Amino acid sequence: MNEKYLEEAEIAYTINTVMEEAQRCLLCHDAPCSKACPAKTDPAKFIRSVRFRNFKGAAETIRENNAMGSICALVCPTEKYCQLGCSRCGIDKPIDIAGIQRFVTDFEQQLDMKILKKGEPNGKHIAIVGSGPAGLQAAASLLQKGYAVTIYEQAEKPGGYLRYGIPAYRLPDVIVDYEIDRIVELGANILCGAKVGQETSLSELKENFDAVLIAVGASEGKMLEMFADNPYTETAVDFLARVRDNQGDISLPNSALVIGGGDVAMDAATTLKVLGVESVTDVAYETFSEFLASKQELAGAQAKGVTIIDGYLPSKVSDKQVTFKHRHNQNELTITADLIILAVGQKVNAEELALPIEHNEVTFEGYQTSDPQVFVAGDIAKGDKTVVWAVQKGKEAAAEIDAMLGGKAND
Amino acid sequence: MINKDLSIDFLGVHFENPFCLSSSPVGNCYDMCKKAYDTGWGGVVFKTIGPEHFVVDEVSPRFDILDKESTPFVGFKNMEQIAEHTLEENLADLKRLKEDYPDKVLIASIMGTNEEDWVELARLVTEAGSDMIEMNLSCPQMTSHEMGSDVGTNAELCKKYCQAVKRGSDLPMMAKMTPNVTDMVPIAKACLEGGADGIATINTIKSVANLDLNRKIGLPVVNGKSAISGYSGKAVKPIALRFLQQLRSAEGLENLPISGIGGIETWEDAAEFILLGSSTLQVTTGVMQYGYRIVEDMKNGLMHYMEEQGVDHLEELVGLANPNIIPTENLDRDYKVYPEIDHEKCIGCGRCYISCYDGAHQAIIWDEKERKPYCDKDSCVGCHLCSLVCPVGAITKGEVVLKPGRTGNPADKII
Repeated sequence: MNEKYLEEAEIAYTINTVMEEAQRCLLCHDAPCSKACPAKTDPAKFIRSVRFRNFKGAAETIRENNAMGSICALVCPTEKYCQLGCSRCGIDKPIDIAGIQRFVTDFEQQLDMKILKKGEPNGKHIAIVGSGPAGLQAAASLLQKGYAVTIYEQAEKPGGYLRYGIPAYRLPDVIVDYEIDRIVELGANILCGAKVGQETSLSELKENFDAVLIAVGASEGKMLEMFADNPYTETAVDFLARVRDNQGDISLPNSALVIGGGDVAMDAATTLKVLGVESVTDVAYETFSEFLASKQELAGAQAKGVTIIDGYLPSKVSDKQVTFKHRHNQNELTITADLIILAVGQKVNAEELALPIEHNEVTFEGYQTSDPQVFVAGDIAKGDKTVVWAVQKGKEAAAEIDAMLGGKAND
Repeated sequence: MINKDLSIDFLGVHFENPFCLSSSPVGNCYDMCKKAYDTGWGGVVFKTIGPEHFVVDEVSPRFDILDKESTPFVGFKNMEQIAEHTLEENLADLKRLKEDYPDKVLIASIMGTNEEDWVELARLVTEAGSDMIEMNLSCPQMTSHEMGSDVGTNAELCKKYCQAVKRGSDLPMMAKMTPNVTDMVPIAKACLEGGADGIATINTIKSVANLDLNRKIGLPVVNGKSAISGYSGKAVKPIALRFLQQLRSAEGLENLPISGIGGIETWEDAAEFILLGSSTLQVTTGVMQYGYRIVEDMKNGLMHYMEEQGVDHLEELVGLANPNIIPTENLDRDYKVYPEIDHEKCIGCGRCYISCYDGAHQAIIWDEKERKPYCDKDSCVGCHLCSLVCPVGAITKGEVVLKPGRTGNPADKII
């Protein structure tokens, strides 16, 4: 167990400090924050509830819209969504919406509020493949409408990328467990260690369930060809899962090189520093002006002492030595490290499910496949690949399933 | 650093500055008053001294606060009564304070249950070396109905006790008023008739600040119950200023000497009390929250204000605003002022739109696309609620227009 890895990086608000932050909110007439959430969260409403000390009402606003509300509060890149258009920017800096949401969801947890209610059973049963944020949200939405839900998860524990992809210091197990426990309380039956396509086939699911929702995510890290046989190379996805699985207790290299410029690269590099690796260098293809990682993640990595070099792409690798070339000039860079981590994207691994996948997402719009009984959601569905988008796709896919099975869509 | 003379004479006593501790928990013993003097307070009203036969028996806990958003101490509720120390101890403290701080003003607050008490207490505190006496006719949480605000609402009793004090002492004396009356003027006049030289106002306002919602008990909870008691702090400032104004605008009281009390914690508060007729100022709640040190910024800030106003003597400021507060029926109702919206400053929050629609006259037009407000002059009554809710000060007073059928020059209006 590595205490530093498990210790949460962000300090939560107290009742006094959250009131201070809520007081900064201008309580806009047509709040831009509430128009910016991919999952349709209404921050203006829950912040106003906090401002008027109605913390339970605030929790209802968050939870009724988002079964992953506690998780989104911790991992959502709010700077790109709700906080981006905050009117308070006209004075100083945006309201810390994520922080207020976290306070409210912590409050909800402390009071053990049961906001989501199981629907009147309608006799229909849905199978969901994958227990990441999209699958879990879809399950919550369907359970509230009266469907029975069984989730098939190939890993030992449910949660998908929430459990195995995001470092514990950003998203502790207790929060993941809390969110999942409440969906189980609603009636979800989660079968772990159950990979669809092996013991259970898709056609079996179709036989036994009224609909099947595939939300398997892009669970495999991409490998670059030149690194394929390199014994010192590991994908960021594998590395982060290995650290998380061992609660941070892994044997450490003296130095590490991370290749990539997204949030996953920042997570991997920061994790290495948190664990105690002396020298961690991240080399990104993007220049800082076009950087993919959120500002918060980038700042977090820099604060921990990660050396970040932008604008280079790898040109050759030999054992522990990687040579990079600058994208726009002739400069070369050579870095030697004991461990090389590739954070250059993820791919879908779902050959058994016979989906039309191109560039790691399905080729069609929406959620229903050519087989009307089969739906997709999450990263494999078209669109953005963040947790908040997974939640929204889960909700929308659940609504489509409900519409197909005779319910009223979006009610 | 600026250094101006803040001294002022009040009831014939010279104060090096107008700032005094009010009679309360903040001036309860020698050590506290010593620290206050050392920190720069001009005077101390020592915590009210009662007669020996009245046993002070306090509850625990005894305070509560009202807060708003993240601001604590918007108002403060206090159940503490008068000084708990023995009469002998209190008199000894007074004596020692005067000996050690001869240039600072020492005011003894006293409270009796009958004429003999008042005479005797006045005599004793005079002997102890006090510079001035304040009669506490106003504490709203006394356990005896012969004391405190029950006396202070009865003009006859007030007059009688003032006479008693004057029999016991030649010191200048002020009577401290309770605000728990509709009209303070008859009480103040009764006190002056009884020999009071000036008025101290206001004492605390009877209150219930908060309830414990689960237990359905007022706060603070004292073995399952609570009681009405005095409310003070910033929240009471407007009420205190109103009483000051009513006193100073009453016939015959135009030059009434006043020691102003009620929610003072900044130099601006202090200046307001002075402009409405206070010569000296008394503070408790601000000290309880922040400590004696608040006097430093009140003094320095007041010096800067005097400098800005071109004033060398504080007394020049006393009462300057009294003539500018007049009966509502005498106000000029011939014109209205439209708001002027600075779209450069506006950050598009729409608060003016909401407040105008829901709380005023539906006179702000909201451009949804641009997220900008516009004034609809046909509907606007010029109330300026919009400018008060604007978080960035983008709305100011604009065009002045006469109401239909009125005469005059809009440019002459002082807005």
